[in-house]
Parts: sequence; structure tokens; C-alpha cells
Amino acid sequence: MEDMMKDQVDQLVDYIMKWCLWQFNSRAWDRKDQNEGILTKTMQILCEEPTEHDTPADRCYWVEAVLLARDFKSTYPWISTMGNNEIKLLMNGLKERIDYLTISGSLNKELTNPTY
Amino acid sequence: MPYHEFKCSECIPERKKHAVVKGEGEDLTSCLPLGYLNTIPGTISERGCAFCGAKHVIGTPMKDVIHLCHGPVGCTYDTWQTKRYISDNDNFQFKYTFATDMKEKDIVFGAEKLLKKNIIDAFKTFPEIKRMSVYQTCASALIGDDIDAIAKEVMGEMPDVDIFVCNSPGFAGPSQSGGHHLINIAWVNQKVGTFEPKITSDYVMNYVGEYNIQGDQEVMVDYFKRMGIQVLSTFTGNGSYDELRGMHKAQLNVLECARSAEYICNELRVRYGTPRMDIDGFGFKPLSESLLKVGLFFGLEKEAQAIIDEEIARWKPEFDWYARRLKGVKVCLWPGGSKLWHWAHVIHDEMGVDVVSLYTKFGHQGDMEKGIARCADGALAIDDPNELEGIEAMKELKPDIILTGVRPGEVAKKMRVQYLNAHAYHNGPYKGFEGWVRFARDIYNAVYSPIHQLSGLDISKDEIDTDNRFMTRQMISDVKIDKEEAAISDEREYTGDYDCVTKLRGKKYPKLEKGDISVG
Amino acid sequence: MSCELNKKERSGVINPIFTCQPAGAQYASIGIEDCIGIVHGGQGCVMFVRLLFAQHFKDNFLLASSSLHEDAAVLGGVHRVEKAVDVLLMRYPDVKVVPIISTCSTEIIGDDIDGVVRKLNNGLLKEKYADREIHLIPIHTPSFKGSMIEGYDVAVRDFVKAFAKKEEPNGKINLITGWVNPGDVTALKHLLSEMDVDATVLFEIESFVSPLMPDGEAVSHGSTTIEDMKSTANAIGTIALNRYEGGQAANYLEKEFEVPAVIGPTPIGIRNTDAFLANIKKMTGKSIPQSLVRERGIAIDTMTNLIHMFFADKKVAIYGNPDLVIGLAEFCLDLEMKPVLLLLGDDNKKYSKDPRIIELQEKVEYDMEIVQNADLWDLESRIKNKEIDLDLIMGHSKGRFTSIDNDIPMLRVGFPVYDRAGYYRHPILGYAGAIWLVEEMANVLFTDMEYKKNKEWILNVW
Repeated sequence: MEDMMKDQVDQLVDYIMKWCLWQFNSRAWDRKDQNEGILTKTMQILCEEPTEHDTPADRCYWVEAVLLARDFKSTYPWISTMGNNEIKLLMNGLKERIDYLTISGSLNKELTNPTY
Repeated sequence: MPYHEFKCSECIPERKKHAVVKGEGEDLTSCLPLGYLNTIPGTISERGCAFCGAKHVIGTPMKDVIHLCHGPVGCTYDTWQTKRYISDNDNFQFKYTFATDMKEKDIVFGAEKLLKKNIIDAFKTFPEIKRMSVYQTCASALIGDDIDAIAKEVMGEMPDVDIFVCNSPGFAGPSQSGGHHLINIAWVNQKVGTFEPKITSDYVMNYVGEYNIQGDQEVMVDYFKRMGIQVLSTFTGNGSYDELRGMHKAQLNVLECARSAEYICNELRVRYGTPRMDIDGFGFKPLSESLLKVGLFFGLEKEAQAIIDEEIARWKPEFDWYARRLKGVKVCLWPGGSKLWHWAHVIHDEMGVDVVSLYTKFGHQGDMEKGIARCADGALAIDDPNELEGIEAMKELKPDIILTGVRPGEVAKKMRVQYLNAHAYHNGPYKGFEGWVRFARDIYNAVYSPIHQLSGLDISKDEIDTDNRFMTRQMISDVKIDKEEAAISDEREYTGDYDCVTKLRGKKYPKLEKGDISVG
Repeated sequence: MSCELNKKERSGVINPIFTCQPAGAQYASIGIEDCIGIVHGGQGCVMFVRLLFAQHFKDNFLLASSSLHEDAAVLGGVHRVEKAVDVLLMRYPDVKVVPIISTCSTEIIGDDIDGVVRKLNNGLLKEKYADREIHLIPIHTPSFKGSMIEGYDVAVRDFVKAFAKKEEPNGKINLITGWVNPGDVTALKHLLSEMDVDATVLFEIESFVSPLMPDGEAVSHGSTTIEDMKSTANAIGTIALNRYEGGQAANYLEKEFEVPAVIGPTPIGIRNTDAFLANIKKMTGKSIPQSLVRERGIAIDTMTNLIHMFFADKKVAIYGNPDLVIGLAEFCLDLEMKPVLLLLGDDNKKYSKDPRIIELQEKVEYDMEIVQNADLWDLESRIKNKEIDLDLIMGHSKGRFTSIDNDIPMLRVGFPVYDRAGYYRHPILGYAGAIWLVEEMANVLFTDMEYKKNKEWILNVW
């Protein structure tokens, strides 16, 4: 079960890495916000839960999330077979992994630069 | 860490951590070269200076501006007529270039008076132009001329003019990237918020980090306008000075080249709460998704989808003709900064070419993260490559084509590697749906060139083919395709015009003809 | 009716005719075999000059930078030169000559490139490269002085100074070509060979035109050797074709080694080529052979076909390198044309004393203006204000839009030419160059007649 989830997370990570840019803003705090904002909303959309998108920032996250959720579903049909709990588990795993790759495990020395 | 050590650079250990091979199973936590560090002297690096990063890359594409360099004449001459940032006002910005022409006595006694006289004389010479950017150079920085003070003084005396000052001398940073940063911050500090633009749509964006190389900006802005979006300003290709002073009024900043212009987006986000949306203008899928994202943001998804459907129906059959024939072509993707990640995956995914190496002249580690995340396993990623390393890599990788600049392209030519201009394009624009076909076509033309094929023949020892009187590109390329399959497809060669940009100028956009809705 | 010598009155420069000194030193450097120059300054000072060479020659030339960054600009950057020399020598085992070329920034901060060369000669080169022949040559080219023209002149002088060594007479002449194209060197060497004269040519740049070979190994690089430069001290005499591009080296050789110097004339056109051959004859005692009489005759025949009908009274503006501009103006006069505007792109004080300019001032019967420290706006504004009415512009590619936007035909000549194919391989010097110039001028005028439908039918028969 764990292996399967790892494999699924890897597939989603691969998709994001190849087709998205939002995870690569130049500072760690920014990446944290982006990952949180977009992946949370993606999870909400996949689970058909309501999303906040009233502020400009939220609206931007939401836009990325809508596209990502659509692409996930069309690229990985197995997502549509999942229940909400499974999706949440999967998306938590995804966020953890993306945070690791782009923030905590990143080798980018500019991430902690205090200014832009 | 899978560092790649070049034989030619074994003697300079500082270079060891500047190249990696993305091995199977490697990810960004184990595979990332160092980046944006001071250049090692004498390596024959390809980097330029911070002055050119500010003036040449970002400053001069602004079209309705006198671009004046405060320094000796060389900085001006050298950054003039070496790029293809066109504009819809007859290219004023690259036809005319201005220098204060600082001489020895100015170095000794200071050149502020000279600068002031120059500014006034330049405005007098071109009375229809009321905007100016003044660029510091190494020389004026080192003698400590206060350009800001002079600019303020002139603006006080000439109320109808406005002057922007960019203090980015050549030595300010390891590469041109230092200048990108400085001019971004200078513009937002000095100019944004000083002009109230006319708002003609409920949907208002800035298009940022786009330099209108061969018309890229005009192609993209056409899509946005067709959707009903007002593109308030473009930073900076084909951009207008006053429009860029009004950047604060946009609801969204759509960012293309994050390398050169993320700074201003980040600042606008902090200061005005305008969100930043990164997009890719290259490739059918990334471009479609980019337009959809912008559309979704404004609630114009249907409008975006309609454009995508129309454009893809028009151009996909032509793109496919080339893609069928480009499968397996080996590419070194060696641009300056952002195209490293704009193209790394999509040229593989859509054209079928294999990216065997990528490099960046002036990118940061963040650019390499994007590039390495996107490229296929096995690719060699190089930061700040130097001439010998480029040659060694080409000998080892034997690419069919490299995508790079004019001069490195000449190095490749001599090694019998075809080259395509990644910065200024061969026959662009390359952005947009039609542009993507043009890009594929240009790669095809280079790779399947009959003359290129002849270049490998050594008539002194190889057997000379006396039967064939000519070859066509297709005779060479079609050897490896399934001809039956190709015959039943609706694919065709490119049918667009040599100039696909000029006709966009003066086009009417009914959705945008609301007049000024910013008042009342 | 007179010829006036004026100075640009406007401050600053709009569309410069020249770039700055270091570019000239870099152009001289690439003419030498096993030589890679290090430009001590910001990276752009090299990167853009290499691009300029690539634009002109459609080829790559090697030059290095000391990569001056912020810390070095503040605290001094000679250590960057030390490092650059070491890195360059380690990685390019064939390199023997390394000019250290200064720029505005490193001259302002006062980096002592002579001192660092002494230090490296006594330290690094002895310790690490004792088995290699290496010459480090400081060349001072502050960008705020002179222009690329002076930079070239200074560099040629400094190279000669560094190498020239009195030994046995070599029976050769020194030919200092000035800033020319590979095609010019071929044409000049042809004249010398017809005269049976052996020459040391500074610089041997025919090899700038290099092939694309099946093995992919060819590169473009000059081929003047250290031996060549050494032997300049032992020549019968020196002919420097261009007063402002090599004149200083010729004077140095005369003063230091008593090698007689003849400076000019730039052999553009029949008359100047005749004078060039006369100078060689005088210097070597060799006679001018029949083959050159014939070659000259072909050139004159070519001109006779064209001048009265198409060239007479055509008004011309010429800009670019001073010796080139003056030479072309003199030739145009012989061709019955009227050069009305000559633009010299820097503030060299010697222009007003140049005998060729004085001669123009004294003898020209119509209105001609020579502008010193000129820029391309001096040309364009005179056209736009209708102060001059031109039939032809002659100059390099940076002025292309002046021609295009004002509908005046232009013959590309000089450096750089990047908007016409292959011009670097054609000569403008000697009789061969005269033929090429005249025919290209005619073809440019013909194309313009057709494009404007201006008596284009006249070309049906002529």
C-alpha cells in the first residue's frame, strides 16, 4: 500500500516538475506559500470541496489548482477511482514531497536570501 | 552528487561543481550545479556584464524612449544593433542610441555637467520623444557621478519630460543577471505608480519578462486582447514608458521570463498586492494551459478555449509535419537563461527531440532547478560554460543541433554541428502557436540541410557519390519515417508568411473599445 | 565653394561611428598566431567585441576576460589578471602571446597592468611555465581616450615594441596594413608578389577566412608569428598604409631601429595604388612589372565603362575609419563624383594637420564638409534637414537605417559589415580593390534605380 502510494506521488511529482513553474519561486518562504496554496486547493477541487478564491492571491492559486486537478485527472485516470480520504492522503504525501524537493531538501543556496 | 568534470577544466577545481549529469533516479536534492557565482577569470566564459543585462536586455526594448548611456562610447556602440527586439513604432529604440561620450577630462573633473547638457541636447534633437532612460556604466559609476541628481534637476527645468535612471555598472554582479535585478528594482522604485493609465477593460494585466524578440510580444498580446483583456504594459518588449509607470493598476502580472523579471513581479505583489502568474509561451500544451490560466483568472475561460481551438486547428497539422521528422534529433539546449526551462521538456514532448545537454550562461540555481526538473534523464547540465567545455561537450555528445547564441553558434558550425539562434531566433517569432511551427521548421531546416550532409565528406579519401545530382531536405528526413502513415495524415509543411507580425498591428479588438472606464 | 573642416557641436553621441579603444587592441590581437588577449575589465568589454567580430566575419575569435566584478572594482583587480593568465595558460597549451588590454574601469581604479606583468614574469612564468615561451604584453587602452582606431594603433605599436629585435637585415619590407579585411591582405600580397618583394605583413589575417572541414577542426585565427614581429627591426623599410592604424609602429621602428618609415597613402583607387607601388619601388629598388601595368589597365577599363555615364557629379557621404574615409573620398574625386560629407568618428587632434585633409581643403572646388568627432546623426540630420542631397552613402553597417529610412543607396564598406554577405573576403585596396569598389558602387546605384523606378530602363543597354 505504501509503495503504491509512493509510486502515485512520484507520478504526480513528475507531472508538476515537468509542466508547472509555480513551485520554483525564488525564495523558500515563497515556495512554501505557493505549495501550500496551490496543492491545498488542488486537493479541494479533486475532493469536490469548495475553494476560497476571492483575494487576488487565492484566485491565482485557484487557477493553478484547477488546471492541475484537470491535468491530474486526465493524465492519471486512477485518481478518479479514489475516495476523498485517499485523495487527501495522496495529496498530503504529494505536498510533503514537493516541499522536500523544492524547499527542505533543495540545494539552491539562494532560497534563504533575505531579499529578492 | 553526479558532478561532471570536464577534462579541460581539471586544472581549475572551482569548476567541479558547475556541471552535473541528471542520472536515473536523481532529483533536485541530489543533482544541482552551483550557479550565479563570480566568473573564473581567463576561462573564456560566455557571460556579459551587468550593464548589458540592464540596458541591453531590459532597458532598450522600451520603445518610446531615448536610451542614453553615461560613459565612454563603447558601451553604447557595443549594445546597439545586436538584438532583435522590434517594436510597432518603427523600431526607434534600436535605430537610435545615445552616449555622453565621456573623455579623459570628464573622468578627471567629473561628467555631471556633460550629462546634463547631453540630456537636454538629446531631447532637443528628438522633440517628439519626452521620455529617457539614463544608464550608468563602469566609468561613470567609478567616478561617482550623481546621475539621479542630474535627472531630477533636468525634470525640474523641463516639466514635460520624464527620466529614468538605471545605476547598473558592468561590474555589478557575476553576469548580466546582476543588471536584470538592478533595473527591475530601479523601475519599481522610481516609476511605478507615477502615472495613471487609461483603463479600457474590466480585465487588466501586465505582461512581464517578454522582450518582443522578432515579435513574440505582439503575437501573445494579440491572444490576450482577443480574449478581451487589456494588456496595460509589457515589461519591456514593445513596451511604452508611461504604460510601464502605470503597472500598479493591473489586476495580474503574467510573467514569462522569470529569470530577468521576477523581481518586479515580486515587488508588485508585495507593494500593490498584484499576484504573479508564471506562464510558458512556447509549445502547444504549455501555451494552451497558459492562456487557460489567464482566462480562468479573469473568468474568460471560454474565450481562451476558443482561441486555443482555433489556433490549434490552424497550426497543429503543420507542426505535426515537422514533429514526425524531428523524432530522435539530438539537441544541446544552450541558451542564456529562461529558455533553458521553457524548452527543456516541451521540445522533447511535442517535437520528439532529445535534449542531451542544457546550460545557462547567466542563470541562477533556480533556473537550473527548473531545467533539470524538466529535462530527461542523462542530460548534462552546465552552469556558466566556457569555450573549451562547450567544445568538449559537443565532441562527447555529438548533438545534431545546438540552440544558442550567434558566436557560440559559430564554434558549433566549425565542428559540423548545426546551430539555431536561441536568443534572437532564426526566423521567428517562436512564441505563439504559429511561432511553434516556425521553431520546428527552423530546426528541421538546419538538421536536414543537404549542404550540412555534404560538409562531412572528405573528397580526398571518401567515396564521392556521382549518381545523385541533388538532395532535398525531405529526401534526407523521410528515410526514417513511416511514409504510408505520413501519407494518410493531414500534415503539411508551414504555410504562414515570412512576416507574420506586422499584420497584427492596427488590428481592431471590439471587446476593448470601451473607452476609459477607470473614471467614475 | 570650399571644403570646411568642422567639429560636431552637439554634446554626446547619437549613433556612434566607432566603438572604444579596447576593441581596436582586440582586433590587432586576433591577427597574431598563438595569441589570446585578456581584456582587463567588465565581461561585456570582451563579450560584445567578440560578437562584433562574429557579426562581421561569421566566425568565432578567442579573447578572454579578467571578469571584473564588484569587489575588484572597489578594491583593485590585478589579482584577477594574475588568475586569468594562469587559467588561460593552463588550458591553452599553445598560447605564447598574451596581451593584457586595459579598459576604462581598470584604468580609473588604477590597476597597474605593467606591474602585474613584471610580477608574473618574475613569479608565475618562471615557477610554473619555465618550459614555455610566453610573452605578456600590457596594452593601455582606456576607453575614454581616442577610439577603436587609436586602440588598434597603440596595440600594433606595443606588439612591435615587445618583439622587434635587431639582428641581421632580412631583406624584407614591413607592411603594416591597418584595420583591413582578409580580402585586402590577399590583394596587397598579390601586388608585392608581382613586384617580387618579400614582406612581413602585420597582420596576416587571410586565415580569418577559415573552412568548415570534414573533421570539424578548423578555426579562424590570424597567423602573424612572433618571428615575424621580431624581424620587423631588420627590414629594409616599413610601409604603413594607414596613418592612424599602424603609423605609430612604423615611427617606432624608424626611431628605434632606423628602419625607414613611409606612412600612407592608403592604396584605395588607382592613384593611391600607383603611389603605393612607387613607394615600394623606391624602398626596394624593384621595378613595376608589365603584369601590374596590365592589371591597372583592366581596372581603368572597368572604370571607363561606368564613370561618365553613371558616377559623374554623384554626391556621396562617407563615414568610418579616417584613412578609409579619406582614401575613398580621393578615389571618388578621380571617379568624377562629389564627396560632400566626410565623417570622422573621433576627436583625434591630428586630423586638422593631416596633409590629405589640408589638400582637400585647399583644392576642392565645390562644397564639401569634413566633420571631426562625428556621429551618424551628423549624417542623418543633414539629410533630414535637406542640407545635403545624397546619391550614395559609403560606410559600415551600423549606419544601415540612415540609408534605409532615407531611401539613399549605400555601399557597405569598412568595419563592421554584417548586413551584407561575405564582404570581408573582397578587397577594397589595390587595383583589384578599385575594381570591386567601382563595380559594387555601380550595382548599388543600379539596384536603387530599379527599386525607385528612376530611369531604370537606361540599363537595357549601356
